[in-house]
Amino acid sequence: MIDFLSRRLAAALLTLVLATVVVFAIVEVLPGDPALVMLGTDARPDTLAALRAQYGFDQPLTVRYLHWIGGLLSFDLGSSHAYGTPVAKLIGDRLAVTLPLGALALSWALLVAIPLGVFAAWKHGTASDWGVMGFTQIGISLPNFWFGIVLVLAFAVTWRIFPAGGFPGWRQDPVGSIHALILPALALSLGEIAILTRVTRSAMLDTLREDYVRTARAKGAPERTVLFGHALRNALIPVTTVAGLIAGFLIAGAVIIESVFRLPGVGQLVYDSINNRDLIVIKNVVILFTLLVLVVNLAVDLAYVALDPRPRVAA
Amino acid sequence: MTDFLARARHHAGFRIGAVLLLLFVGTALASLFWTPYPVDELQMRAKLLPSSAQHWLGTDHLGRDVLSRAQTSITVGLIAVALGMSAGVALGAWAAARGGWVDEALSRTSDLIFAFPAVLIAILITSVLGASARNAILAIAIFNVPVFARVTRGAALALWSRDFVRAATAMGRGPFGITLRHVLPNIMSVLIVQATIQFAVAILAEAGLSYLGLGAQPPVPSWGRMLRDAQTYIFQAPELALWPGLAVALAVLGLNMLGDGLRDLLDPRLRLMRVG
Repeated sequence: MIDFLSRRLAAALLTLVLATVVVFAIVEVLPGDPALVMLGTDARPDTLAALRAQYGFDQPLTVRYLHWIGGLLSFDLGSSHAYGTPVAKLIGDRLAVTLPLGALALSWALLVAIPLGVFAAWKHGTASDWGVMGFTQIGISLPNFWFGIVLVLAFAVTWRIFPAGGFPGWRQDPVGSIHALILPALALSLGEIAILTRVTRSAMLDTLREDYVRTARAKGAPERTVLFGHALRNALIPVTTVAGLIAGFLIAGAVIIESVFRLPGVGQLVYDSINNRDLIVIKNVVILFTLLVLVVNLAVDLAYVALDPRPRVAA
Repeated sequence: MTDFLARARHHAGFRIGAVLLLLFVGTALASLFWTPYPVDELQMRAKLLPSSAQHWLGTDHLGRDVLSRAQTSITVGLIAVALGMSAGVALGAWAAARGGWVDEALSRTSDLIFAFPAVLIAILITSVLGASARNAILAIAIFNVPVFARVTRGAALALWSRDFVRAATAMGRGPFGITLRHVLPNIMSVLIVQATIQFAVAILAEAGLSYLGLGAQPPVPSWGRMLRDAQTYIFQAPELALWPGLAVALAVLGLNMLGDGLRDLLDPRLRLMRVG
């Protein structure tokens, strides 16, 4: 098991290193002169030169890359061109919105999808099963940001139960802050609910055919124990894997959803930084997101080992 | 073929999907020649109108006819998937034919691309290269390359160990000839199904990018940007926020149902990847 985990850890580290190379290439090599991207083509030569000197764009590529990596390792991400504040602090403040949003969406998705998938598998081939599958087909097809706008139309414009957007801040108004995250989390979770429901259903259909489930039924175990105690426990293994994969999509989806609801999260920061052409912020946020995805996937591997005690050697 | 059509007629999902897709492709083609109103015609006195006999889906904040504007905008996704598919199929077929380090290098590279959240890199690319329909196509196409490469490689590898391919090798045909003549025709159904699903994913991605202002630039109409504009006027004209989203949803739903239907009809054993 230690062997399996250390191999996964090494693979994740390698991916992270390659990710920094790719992001560096896109942000600092692809555009030719990053200073020109940040200031625009009508910038004066002396301001361009000053910016190049400030961010070290005038130094060789390898020096710039190593300097950036050194900064990443010591949490010194440089300072934002547009905000003038350290990027690390900027991102840290925004994570206080994005992480709860993602966590809320993922827990909501699991809470809905698992019972729904179990139900569909239990009612396999009936109208209820078809209904659930039809719902997942629609859930996969709706753009989540549009679903967000529809939720605003219903719950903010028509019924005025939830705010249409904005975020009061955890310290100023904790209850209002949670209130402000509910609609965005619902919008964000729609596609994930659809995918997780399908995975749960098909995993349950597989386990329900197993001999030990038949044995449990033959012994007269109540249906609830058979479904949740015996079948679901094994069906959860693929569900956990997919939930981890989905975490990546949740993070990316947050960029658009935060823009819909005007939440001051990391996604909104990316959006603003694109408009401000703040390449320093953008490259660090993308690496942070990649890191988050890798950490979640490692956590999934851990959960996997916990759920399935058979030693897993194949990576 | 007749057998396929006969079975297709009994597959409900395939039928619904095909009708939806024909509807969208039909209106998109028709919009090249005719739209109810000129796409960019501004009528400031007729702005933010609800649905009526004159303007079936109402008008937007500049008095432009919404139905006329909603007709185009699946082109970006179509071109992006076509590009990504061409490159991906070529690379995947090459990896399967060559094996060895080529295969290893291509597989590892596609693993790496999958580790990134796709939308994020698309945002990164369009933000560095500038927002335009062309760069949105490029960004979405890049993410289709590893998807097609993987599917092609997997399906092609299975064929390379089959007897008729071995026979062709024994007869002295080169890997390129075998790929063109034996491998590609036999994996075509897998590729068609995957292309349908990817087209759906690409439409969603384009809508997201243009919602963020990173897709086609005004005055070119796109569903995502129409939603962004509509949101500004959500209290005055809530209807405006419904139509473009419904268009995206129906187009994607149609493609997904068509893809699932094709999979059932062409080969029920296929399991395809959904990468969003």
